[in-house]
Amino acid sequence: MNSSKYIIGFTALLTAIVALVLSLMYTGLKEKHKQNELLFEKRAMLGAIQDKAGIDISTMKDKDIIDFFTKNIEQVVVDTKGNILSPEEVEKHGYKGGKAENIDLKTEMKRTFDQRMLPVYIYKSKDGNKIYILKLFGKGLWDEISGYLALSSDLNTVVGASFDHKGETPGMGAEMKDNPKFPVQFKGKKIYDKTGKLVSINVRKGGAVDPDHDVDAISGATLTSNGITDMLLHSLENYNNYLKKLKQK
Amino acid sequence: MSEMKESKKALFPMTKKEKRLLFDPLNDNNPVTVQVLGICSALAVTSMLLPSIVMAIAVTFVIAFSNLAISLMRNYIPKQVRMIVQLVVIAFLVTIVELTLKAYSYPVYKQLSVFIGLIITNCIVMGRLEAFAMANPPWQSFLDGIGNGLGYGIILIIISFFRELFGRGTLLSGTPIEMKIIGAGSDFWIDTTTNSWFGWYTNNNLMVLPAAALFILGMIIWYQRSKNPKLVDIS
Amino acid sequence: MEEFLNIFIKSAFVENLVLSYFLGMCSYLAVSKTVKTASGLGLAVIFVLGITVPINWLINRYLLSENGILGMDLTFLRFILFIAVIASMVQLVEMVVEKVSPALYNSLGIFLPLITVNCAILGASLFMISREYDFSESVAFGLGGGFGWFLAIVAMAAIREKLKYSDIPAPLRGLGIAFIITGLMGMAFMGMMGIDPAIFFSGK
Repeated sequence: MNSSKYIIGFTALLTAIVALVLSLMYTGLKEKHKQNELLFEKRAMLGAIQDKAGIDISTMKDKDIIDFFTKNIEQVVVDTKGNILSPEEVEKHGYKGGKAENIDLKTEMKRTFDQRMLPVYIYKSKDGNKIYILKLFGKGLWDEISGYLALSSDLNTVVGASFDHKGETPGMGAEMKDNPKFPVQFKGKKIYDKTGKLVSINVRKGGAVDPDHDVDAISGATLTSNGITDMLLHSLENYNNYLKKLKQK
Repeated sequence: MSEMKESKKALFPMTKKEKRLLFDPLNDNNPVTVQVLGICSALAVTSMLLPSIVMAIAVTFVIAFSNLAISLMRNYIPKQVRMIVQLVVIAFLVTIVELTLKAYSYPVYKQLSVFIGLIITNCIVMGRLEAFAMANPPWQSFLDGIGNGLGYGIILIIISFFRELFGRGTLLSGTPIEMKIIGAGSDFWIDTTTNSWFGWYTNNNLMVLPAAALFILGMIIWYQRSKNPKLVDIS
Repeated sequence: MEEFLNIFIKSAFVENLVLSYFLGMCSYLAVSKTVKTASGLGLAVIFVLGITVPINWLINRYLLSENGILGMDLTFLRFILFIAVIASMVQLVEMVVEKVSPALYNSLGIFLPLITVNCAILGASLFMISREYDFSESVAFGLGGGFGWFLAIVAMAAIREKLKYSDIPAPLRGLGIAFIITGLMGMAFMGMMGIDPAIFFSGK
């Protein structure tokens, strides 16, 4: 029973069965996985504008999210110089489909500034004004953090925000996502100062001081809060030229 | 007497030994509080009820089916690769769980993240394979797996019940049947901003930290062993 | 070098695998009854971690990723391959210890092979992936994490040896009080969370 031939044969058979079943499952479920990821991102993105759009993502079914998205959201991909990129150009970075939703911001942030491709979601609200939703990515205390920031048509005032994290401490850093009171603070804040400089928004320990550019930090989560401040600044810098170009139009 | 046994057999188509396999791990031979297995995940996922329940189901599935698979193979596994074969079977089942969760319950998948992979190293799985499945027939191994899974699950549910209730004031948050019990806001049953008796209450942030799970586990053990004296000093 | 030390210190103290993340609890609680067995197991863990994390990094980068030799996204085989590497390393360690120090081998007994299922070992490799360390960072992380685990289990063993002379209620003796102590130590370690060791090097 324990001859080398038997051992090799046994392990080979076991490996073959395991590899076969797993590969089948993986290829079979790959589409569904991808859909789920896209759906999750859509939910997070719509979370930034739910008040403005009069929707409640926590009660919307998956189908409703997709419907709303297809009907009301325009997807655009831009580079850091402010140019709009065609789907073919987007696919050059490896994103099949070439749409904003296919872009992996994490990968893009690893590239040099000039090479980055950025997703922009534009929502036409009921009063005809366009709302621009930008994607954020950064590092929290433990792991990645991300989010969406929605700007009104003046491209300066925030109308909503939503955040997500991978492993922040529940009750502390995780409040950025779990506690609705945190993102609500961002409404009405401005990302540019009066001279037109991009100053972003500061998640300030000790409480907000500047009414236009500060929000309160999460109590007990200084480092996560600092991470959010950094994330906002670095992510918004990506869009700076695009926003400036839009303002000129 | 034998007629009673016959009728009992009709109701519970299980022998006494099989019932023991299924129910012992719930108390006398609990994998967490007696065998000292499966602690890591018991701490990490128990901050809320929902992930704990999902984890318990996933772990029960893995223990039961790996027990079954190894028990079926037990006379054919070469001695030299015993551990690797066990691990491959476990990793295989866990990967199936992960791919399935990712496809059919994405929010839960995101919440459990790295801990799904850690089911592989959940000592209960390996522990039961070595202690039982390698030397026992398939059906009984399967039952032993379910029993231990349930024992683990019950501990997880107790811990997460307290942690979620006192740490966040809710129960089953994340499900359609979420119960918002006590907190600051009108959607809670006891609204601390308006209730005259509980205005002072704020959520206990310690409960949200994994250290709380250790304290609660200590308390559970204290309680269990004072009710069940034969477990004192057992580990 | 600075980055290396930074991650080493961080993974040993600030993000201690046992006391901050609560990984590797089972063997931690089971083998921490005497300092002697605890240090033996701790050393074995340092060795296994210091080797498996870098090896798994190499496997992930060159075999499983799309840029690897096979050119396909095989990340779903990650668990299986990582655990195979860990099991082989532990088998190796077991053989070496048996040859070099039969006394230690006997006193550790079953807990040497149980390193294979120590969640800290697989957990460390999975963290290395999710944090996207490069190769030298993964070496630092493996060694630092192992060292931190070693310190934690030896500290616990020292406490439990002293506890033998305390008057603890019977139902709480042994495992019960060990849980509570671990919880307290965990809380203490939480105070270190967020410290960036780099501040000690740059003198800021």
